[in-house]
Amino acid sequence: MKVSMSSFLITQKPVLKKIVNILSENYKYVSILGTDTKGKMYNVQRTGIDLSDSFWSERGFVIRVHNGVNYSEFSFNEISEESLNSIVDEIHLKMATTLESLKSASITVNPYDLIEETLIKEQFLGEVIALPSTLTSKEKIEKMCFIKDTALSLSELIVDFRVAYHEVHVSKIFISNKKELEQSYIWSEGYLVSIVRRDGNTKYAHSSFSGLKAVELLDEMTSNIEKAVDTSIKLLDAKSITPGEYEVICSPEISGLIAHEAFGHGVEMDMFVKKRAKALEYLGKSVASELVTMHDGATSANNMSSYLFDDEGVLGTDTIVIEKGILKTGISDILSALKLGTKPTGNGKRQSFERKAYARMTNTFFTAGKDTLEDMIASIKFGYLLDGTMSGMEDPKNWGIQCMILKGMEIKDGKLTGEIVSPVIMTGYVPDVLESISMLSQTVELSGSGACGKGYKEFVKVSDGGPYIKAKVRLG
Amino acid sequence: MIERIKNLISGSSKMDGYKIIENKITASELFFVKKGLDMYRAKDVHNFNITIYKNFEEENVEYTGSSSAVIHPTMSDEEVLSVIEEAAFAASFIKNKYYPLVGPSDIVQPEIISKFSSKPLNEWLPTLTDALYNSDICDNGRINSSEIFLNKVYTRIVNSKGIDVSFTTYKGEIEFITNWKEDAEEIELYKNINFSDMDYDLIDEKVKEMLIISKEKAVASPTPALGKYTVLLNGAPVIELLNYYLAQASAKNVYNGMSTAKLGENIQGNDVCGDLITLTLDPFMRNSTKSSPYDTDGFPVSSAKIYEKGVLNMYHGDSRHCHYLNIEPTGNISNSIIEGGTYGVADFKNDPYLEIIAFSDFQMDPLTGDFAGEIRLGWYFDGISTIPVTGGSVSGNIKKLQKSMYLSKELQKDNSFVGPKIIKLLNVSVAGIQ
Repeated sequence: MKVSMSSFLITQKPVLKKIVNILSENYKYVSILGTDTKGKMYNVQRTGIDLSDSFWSERGFVIRVHNGVNYSEFSFNEISEESLNSIVDEIHLKMATTLESLKSASITVNPYDLIEETLIKEQFLGEVIALPSTLTSKEKIEKMCFIKDTALSLSELIVDFRVAYHEVHVSKIFISNKKELEQSYIWSEGYLVSIVRRDGNTKYAHSSFSGLKAVELLDEMTSNIEKAVDTSIKLLDAKSITPGEYEVICSPEISGLIAHEAFGHGVEMDMFVKKRAKALEYLGKSVASELVTMHDGATSANNMSSYLFDDEGVLGTDTIVIEKGILKTGISDILSALKLGTKPTGNGKRQSFERKAYARMTNTFFTAGKDTLEDMIASIKFGYLLDGTMSGMEDPKNWGIQCMILKGMEIKDGKLTGEIVSPVIMTGYVPDVLESISMLSQTVELSGSGACGKGYKEFVKVSDGGPYIKAKVRLG
Repeated sequence: MIERIKNLISGSSKMDGYKIIENKITASELFFVKKGLDMYRAKDVHNFNITIYKNFEEENVEYTGSSSAVIHPTMSDEEVLSVIEEAAFAASFIKNKYYPLVGPSDIVQPEIISKFSSKPLNEWLPTLTDALYNSDICDNGRINSSEIFLNKVYTRIVNSKGIDVSFTTYKGEIEFITNWKEDAEEIELYKNINFSDMDYDLIDEKVKEMLIISKEKAVASPTPALGKYTVLLNGAPVIELLNYYLAQASAKNVYNGMSTAKLGENIQGNDVCGDLITLTLDPFMRNSTKSSPYDTDGFPVSSAKIYEKGVLNMYHGDSRHCHYLNIEPTGNISNSIIEGGTYGVADFKNDPYLEIIAFSDFQMDPLTGDFAGEIRLGWYFDGISTIPVTGGSVSGNIKKLQKSMYLSKELQKDNSFVGPKIIKLLNVSVAGIQ
């Protein structure tokens, strides 16, 4: 079913065009991004139910102008024909005064060229199998309560079983002197979290679900109840890992975590401008095993971060970041591309209209190989099959990697033994990890639950993934 | 706008109560690359969040259903009404155990004091910039890039029981990256400072400190594989680690079965040979972005002692979850003060240790007690000499280590936390790289 564009944004279009026209009398570049994102978060657990608007819900605007030296922005969410003058005054008077006061305080201003635009007018409307309105909130909660109650009946060790479902309808409009872009799409994500306790030892396991989908996600979740419960119960017997270097097989989820943390953040090209990325020195050089090819882009896959245009009005692309082990290029927002003299890749993303745009990942993944998972497991003398993303942290300057992983399933003499270690922290030097990749399975899986931050803030939706990969890593 | 929402709510008979939270945020933001201003941003946004409550009974059980939604100032009356009705519909089948809404109080709460209130936000930007770059004068190291955010947040909370309170807070944030280069490759470290008051020296000191430790990281050796070792956590990881105790005492976690902490019992168990936790919540901590005279229900908050020498004195939480546990509510308070221990930092350093001052991302799981992090900078003392080290990781479980946990006498203040500067833990697993 086709997703519909926000009628609010459509009705505001003449006002937005008027603002662009007025400001263009004084500024050589003017653009406005308008957003109207609606979403609901449903949470069901043993002790209660919670229903609220999604934290991604927003409705507002951000104006960007070239102030004669570089770019300034103003974010606001009250707009009408009558308030046009006060919005224009905010740019003309207050922003100009502030910039002058900063210059008077001997603060230098980094110059940026003008953004060159070509004439473009496009619209994208996403599709889902079943729109959020197909089910009422009551029906969604009933389905979620069924999942919870089914899980709770499976074991007395379960302290709680949490079911989360999150649906978000994104609408955006971008207006400048040469661009008129509109897009609307729906994504959803869900979690099953099984929390178990035995003799004071508490463990939990989660399964996540996501995609450019809506209520159909609830059916996917229903078919994974037992798996989430089983995993959590097995974790009660998990041991701590003996720190050391191991041969491992990473599940597609962990492959994605590595792609994301190891190279995704490291090739965000605002980091090139700041000289914070070691990758800048390695363009055209080998950074990974020749088995490794990695993509990022709004059009590289049909997943959580697939869109027509980014938050700076640049059309999404498919970037080959690593090709057969060679680092080819980075991913870029429009201002970094201006600074570096490169072409923007449609990766300028904002947490919301209230925040700045940065170079951010979209759908990031390793491509498939030719091996089977069975052969990969059989090739390991002693190691682990790693699964379950907990968190990760990038280090683009020095190429460190930290991945917090839920569990490692022991492999001995080419077979899974049933023993589990948990939790596991994977660390290492990125090229060492990527150079060590020696086998890749034949199917790529992407997932996009949660959010990606830049440092500890600026959260955006992304997806990442890959096939199963075999590598050598340090675990603790 | 609040009156408009109230009028529209009053036209609906499908509810038993409501709450409206209004937030008006103005902000000025600067983004620097080296010392050059890369972008100036300003913000002026106005938002409303409504919660609709509905009491009902099923099979002799009383419930208070609720549902929350955002109302944008650009919404038409029809849109607002639709949001209200949708929330009221949802509240009518959400089966949460009954609880009463917070009512008005005669308590007069003090204001949150900040120098930022004395002039417009944008006029503070040159001072903040000067404080940030004052000590950026080294030859081999510098601030690579930075971001300065200054927010003024007006909050008004209104509910159907007659609560109508309002207050203004300030939220400042500076994020900066430092570089240093000696003979090996250039390194970087990340720092984030949160504040609600203008304190030039605090910002300047943080920059000096980061430049010093960046220099150390530039000459750091790989962390040795130490196996089980004495670990000293320094600075921010201490706050993350001790957050475990706050989570264990949360009324919500206790009600949900996530915490088994019992009033009157020692959270650290019996036969503790290290230091015991004494923890107080202080809603009016100076220069904290989390200070607030009221919680999000409009409940007037005041100081509360949660642990006394390890013994759980009271749970903390909002009115709803405290009602479920049949205890007096503290309201949600996010500032904590933890008393220092018996020994000083110098005492901790008499025996071999690995002191970690910067992690990639130190993580503590408050449910399981598991913690871990990759080491970005530490100091390794083998009993003879001390060297800076980097790489590898530490991991452990607080429940297994808390009996021999030592809190330094020396304290640190970091936004919403006052407490030990360093924590000493024995037998922590260290995965080195050498």
